[in-house]
Amino acid sequence: MGLAAIGVIAAMIWWTYSEVEDANHQRQVTSEIRRGLSELKLVTFEYHLQHSERARAQWEATADRVDRFIANARFPEPVQTEILAELRENRAAGRRLFVKLTAARGAGREDATLDEASRRFETQLLRQLLTYQQENFDDSSRLNDFATQRIIDAQWRMMIVILAGLALITSVIVGASWLMRRGVLKPIARLQQATRQVAAGNLDFVLGMHGDDEIGELSKNFDAMTKSLRGSFAQIGSSNQALAVLNEELEAFSYSVSHDLRGPLRSMDGFAMVLLEDYGDKLDEEGKDALQRIRAASQRMGNIIDDLLRLSQVTRAELNVTRVDLSAIAREIADAIDREQSGRSVQWAIEAGLSVRADPALMRIAMQNLLQNAWKFTGRSDRPLIRVGALERDARTVVFVADNGVGFDMTHADKLFGAFQRLHHVGDFPGTGIGLAIVRRIIRRHEGRIWAQAKEGEGATFFFSLKESEHGSDEQDHPAG
Amino acid sequence: MDQMSKTILLVEDNPDDVKLTLRAFKRNNMLNPIVVARDGVEALDFLFARDAYAERAGKPPPTLVILDLKLPKLDGLEVLRAIRGDDRTKFIPVVILTSSKEQQDLMQGYALGANSYVRKPVDFTEFMEAVRLLGIYWLMTNQPPPERHTA
Repeated sequence: MGLAAIGVIAAMIWWTYSEVEDANHQRQVTSEIRRGLSELKLVTFEYHLQHSERARAQWEATADRVDRFIANARFPEPVQTEILAELRENRAAGRRLFVKLTAARGAGREDATLDEASRRFETQLLRQLLTYQQENFDDSSRLNDFATQRIIDAQWRMMIVILAGLALITSVIVGASWLMRRGVLKPIARLQQATRQVAAGNLDFVLGMHGDDEIGELSKNFDAMTKSLRGSFAQIGSSNQALAVLNEELEAFSYSVSHDLRGPLRSMDGFAMVLLEDYGDKLDEEGKDALQRIRAASQRMGNIIDDLLRLSQVTRAELNVTRVDLSAIAREIADAIDREQSGRSVQWAIEAGLSVRADPALMRIAMQNLLQNAWKFTGRSDRPLIRVGALERDARTVVFVADNGVGFDMTHADKLFGAFQRLHHVGDFPGTGIGLAIVRRIIRRHEGRIWAQAKEGEGATFFFSLKESEHGSDEQDHPAG
Repeated sequence: MDQMSKTILLVEDNPDDVKLTLRAFKRNNMLNPIVVARDGVEALDFLFARDAYAERAGKPPPTLVILDLKLPKLDGLEVLRAIRGDDRTKFIPVVILTSSKEQQDLMQGYALGANSYVRKPVDFTEFMEAVRLLGIYWLMTNQPPPERHTA
């Protein structure tokens, strides 16, 4: 459309240009004719005054030139052709008159003076000739005017065509941009809105734009995408629901483990004791030993159940992260151990100022397990020493608990943190094998890492690092954090 | 008031635990009469002298209620709520004696006005000790609320 308009304008400009060229040529021709005619007029006067042969020859030459011009002139307009024909006619009449004039003059050449009658005739002829010449001149003027008019017309036409073309181009541009707006920009704006909605979580948003173009295709694909997203989210939702149900069942399970399993154990222990107390005198040593073993086993199972429950509580407990003074906690635990187990003397080396961002209750449980372990496994050391400290590794604070106890063989280190995994015999070092599993779960809940290094007979060191949620460990603590 | 008039209401559904608890009281020389209710409804019937315990109307309330939490019909926390919600019983000392040490049970127990919360140990020796301490404290040391003869 726009191209067509530009083509039309170009054609019009070319046409106008050739028109103006043509008209200019016409004007040139008519100017030439006019110039010839006015020259002819002068020559006529000259002849009239001198009657010389030279003047006559000049008149003839000029007249021939003018007639040649007129004969060669070709004009497109019928009016112009008419004028041209009239011009030719008048010119022919003028030439006849001049021949007459020269003949008249030629007859009386011998006499220096002409008689009155001849002079009058000559004057009359001349007047007629001049009249024709004047008419010729007028005709050529009219032709000239025509040419000029043609130029003006062509210019006008060109201006109108250019203006119309510009108007056309403008309307084409406006129309095209409107079409573009309706067909491309608006759908794109809607698509943009849709992506924003979906990004914000509104998966029910449907574009519903149907078209055979790329935008329509895009819109259809977009709707298909949100639909499949909806499906996936629904699936995730139902999976989450199932998980929540499972979690609830797990909680109910651990609750009934706590309540229901301990009841029978208490009965076993209690009635074994009743037997020992009331009927002990009727039992031999082996019978009493059997009852003692029943009691011991019941109690051990009670401890295992309690530890399992502790493990599940550690998993379920809500994290309240705040700044925790590990040194103070370690100190308190060490003091409590010393108080309760006054039979043994252990040297504690607890570094001051150990501080981490963590849940205080869970960190206390973790430290309790680590220190109790260290205490337990230094039971056979000559000079038991338990160290608690920290070191920087990869820009992270790593806390360690080191002892000089029995240690363990590093080839079994992978079993260290599993529930019910033990590297020593219960008879040597009592325990349920849950303690380090609890510690690892606590560290993992803080997105941290725990590992150990040990050598049999030379002690063990446990390291852990926590995820540092903030930089700068010396800053003031915010309870809400 | 002599020891014999200080009744204890033991709310416990597990007959083994009933037997062991009674043995613990006896072994610790606490000879108070002990009434056993085997579910929550029976406990409230006794406390409010209803149905099977209608003849108790007008008699003084028990000096101590030992309450298990997991009970048939009406659970221990509901029993506690009913005890604290009635003018006749709201001051009776209630000791929760249970296997559970779930945080939520502890919280709810205290929130509903339990005077004490004791977890039953598996080890019978420890259990005996716990019952002994309970008896000494609530039956001998503690000064009970003044008896109310009018409801």
